[in-house]
Amino acid sequence: MLENITVSPSPHISRPLSTRRVMIDVIIGLVPAVAAAGYYFRVYALILIPTCVISAVATEWLCNLIRKKPNSLGDFSAVVTGIILALSLPPGLPAWAAVIGSCFSIAIGKMVFGGLGANIFNPAMVGRTFLTACFGMLMTSWMVPATVDSTMPKIALTEAGTKTIVDARTQATPLALSKQAIKSKSEAKVVNEQFEATLTGGIGGCLGETSALALLIGGIYLLIRRTINFHIPLAVLASAFVFAAIAYLIDSNAYMSPLVHLTSGGMLLCVFFIATDPVTAPLTKKGMWIFGIGVGAITMLIRIVGEYPEGIMCAVLLMNAVTPLIDRFCKLVPAGGKPNA
Amino acid sequence: MNNELQTKAKFSFPGGTHPPGSKELTRESKIQQGPAGKQVAIMLSQHIGAVCKPLVEKKDQVQAGQKIGDCDAFVSAPVHSPVNGKVKEISLQSHAVLGRIPAVIIEAETENNPPKQPCSAKFTNDFNDNSYSAEQIRTRIRQAGIVGMGGAGFPTSVKVEPNPKAPKETMIVNGCECEPYITCDYRIMLEWTNQIVAGVKLARKAAGCSEVFIGIEDNKPAAIEVMNTALKTSANSDGIKVVPVKTKYPQGGERQLIKAILKKDVPTGGIPPMIGVLVLNVATTAAIAEAVVTDWPLTHRVVTVTGEGIVNPGNYYVPIGTSVAELIEFCGGLREEAVRVILGGPMMGIAIADLTTPTTKTTGAVTVLTEKQIGGAKFAGIQTPCIRCGRCLEACPEHLNPTKIAHAVKNNLLDVAESYYISACMECGCCSYVCPANIELTGYIKTGKILLARQKKKIPQ
Repeated sequence: MLENITVSPSPHISRPLSTRRVMIDVIIGLVPAVAAAGYYFRVYALILIPTCVISAVATEWLCNLIRKKPNSLGDFSAVVTGIILALSLPPGLPAWAAVIGSCFSIAIGKMVFGGLGANIFNPAMVGRTFLTACFGMLMTSWMVPATVDSTMPKIALTEAGTKTIVDARTQATPLALSKQAIKSKSEAKVVNEQFEATLTGGIGGCLGETSALALLIGGIYLLIRRTINFHIPLAVLASAFVFAAIAYLIDSNAYMSPLVHLTSGGMLLCVFFIATDPVTAPLTKKGMWIFGIGVGAITMLIRIVGEYPEGIMCAVLLMNAVTPLIDRFCKLVPAGGKPNA
Repeated sequence: MNNELQTKAKFSFPGGTHPPGSKELTRESKIQQGPAGKQVAIMLSQHIGAVCKPLVEKKDQVQAGQKIGDCDAFVSAPVHSPVNGKVKEISLQSHAVLGRIPAVIIEAETENNPPKQPCSAKFTNDFNDNSYSAEQIRTRIRQAGIVGMGGAGFPTSVKVEPNPKAPKETMIVNGCECEPYITCDYRIMLEWTNQIVAGVKLARKAAGCSEVFIGIEDNKPAAIEVMNTALKTSANSDGIKVVPVKTKYPQGGERQLIKAILKKDVPTGGIPPMIGVLVLNVATTAAIAEAVVTDWPLTHRVVTVTGEGIVNPGNYYVPIGTSVAELIEFCGGLREEAVRVILGGPMMGIAIADLTTPTTKTTGAVTVLTEKQIGGAKFAGIQTPCIRCGRCLEACPEHLNPTKIAHAVKNNLLDVAESYYISACMECGCCSYVCPANIELTGYIKTGKILLARQKKKIPQ
């Protein structure tokens, strides 16, 4: 019996919560958004999401093989990256482009840094940026949801896989309309009327970001499970709201209402699932506030002043880049104050 | 305010965590007479401070209660024999923290060696400390070799010594017992209530404190109640108050207890006297009462032998110096599944491989765990990468950045670890406990502290 006695540093017990469980919680949180994507974009969702997940997982497996590292698929982080990337892509994107994006996400966004926990930028956003840079046209064509377009193919798997984006009916997203309104200094009201559609999701946009409600449900689940802290979501939403409100107060004809800003585009997907990615966000509460305010401010700057309709992807990546700086700046003070040297 | 006793707590500290209490194994088990101590090994250092010099030689005859090691240094505490017997040898013995240190091995006489009984029956509710002067109490505390019995083992005589530069106004008696599994303090609060109250009064007098708070976690309503009742009817107990505190680990850390009760922070790197506070464990106050009133030194203590890996868990009155092996054998031995023997509880206790390790004045528990309690992944030592989730920062009661410190140590960047206040860590284990990646954060931090101490030549290589 004595030969069974082992030693290790204290503590000798641990909370039954693993990294895998954290990732599974994120996946559960994504379920409503995935379901909404399936409902609105039908077969396109059915193709894009599994394509991204499978290619992300395969890439991670291959990278580990090449680097002669132990298999790390068990933590499910590649699955999370795959789903988030798929949800941030235009529904009509061809599957081959999604595969390229997933491979880039995992290989260049994560594995070259050393795998989970070592990456500087959110892998899904790295992949999406790459796709935007390579296939600008494909990445900015927004298809009309099935609830609006009854001609959307329902079963034609092979057809949809090869279908070019020109075949499907496309539609300007609320953010694109908002951009036009800013340029023409009028008609912002038209976008504001789409508020309800941005909530439920019956509107053009990325696969997973059209239904604000589904994202909200998932986000609340993550908050309840304490998988994410409220600091970053709250900071992003609050700062975005403030900037949008300022613009709206200046000229309500040119700028759309701040509420529509919060429910449209990638805002909620980003707020709950991308900006809160712990690996690339600051560690301290104070840092999280700064990070969140930065994301909100840069997003609004791009949406209102910049050339692009949507800027949250750039905002997250930019703030990812300064996260190490934020962490250094927001050093915790011990409970008893700084020791006298 | 209603007259009903408040056992629900309002006070706590920020941070911390909630490991399962697991106290049900021994909570209802009354303090029983432990093993007789056929052979005891009295460590010459059972405290923080100077190591004692042996006062006996090989083959000397010793009496129970006889002083067998002492030192003139201010920060030190003498050691005594718990039994009548003969000195077998003075040799190095395994110590959970200090490695191997000298100990006096005493073989007990088989005859004429009645086991010592607890002295709680000698104390009644109307104990009055008037017959003892503060000076007298302090001398007896020193002579009896009393040290902090909650685990740290700081000599109590040093703690209660008045310091004109920093007068101690408040005394906090620590009855939290936040560490999972351990119930020795709980049992003595229930069974030795009057002795503890007497000890509290004596300690208050010795240290010159005006107000006293007895902090007890609110998962021990019975202890809160009996202590309250005893105080209410006891003479000269004005200014002594029982304060229920929230059940949260590490509520029994002295800095956390002070924060919860007084809302004050002890300066980082400082000690409670700096803000005029003295913290004593309930077991220490009981030892003070015994030492002052019956003039008997600290030779026995209550040890909780517990855990799913032990056959008969319970609370036992044990001669200090009894080996862990003898204790375990007395409790029916180890179960088949036992994989870890811990001196102390599962959060801060030290795992030992050598079961001949003797118990000391600070050994409040021996916990034996099976793989099930440790958890499969943790037992296998599977650590996954840090995902910077920040749970360790939230749990750290000292508001440190455990992951940053641990990874600095891992990469041998001790200056970085120092800049993140590694020395402010009290090694409570919250960070490792909550880590989803099973990283031994506390282990790395402990290692870093040792490496730093070596670098500064405070301890040899």
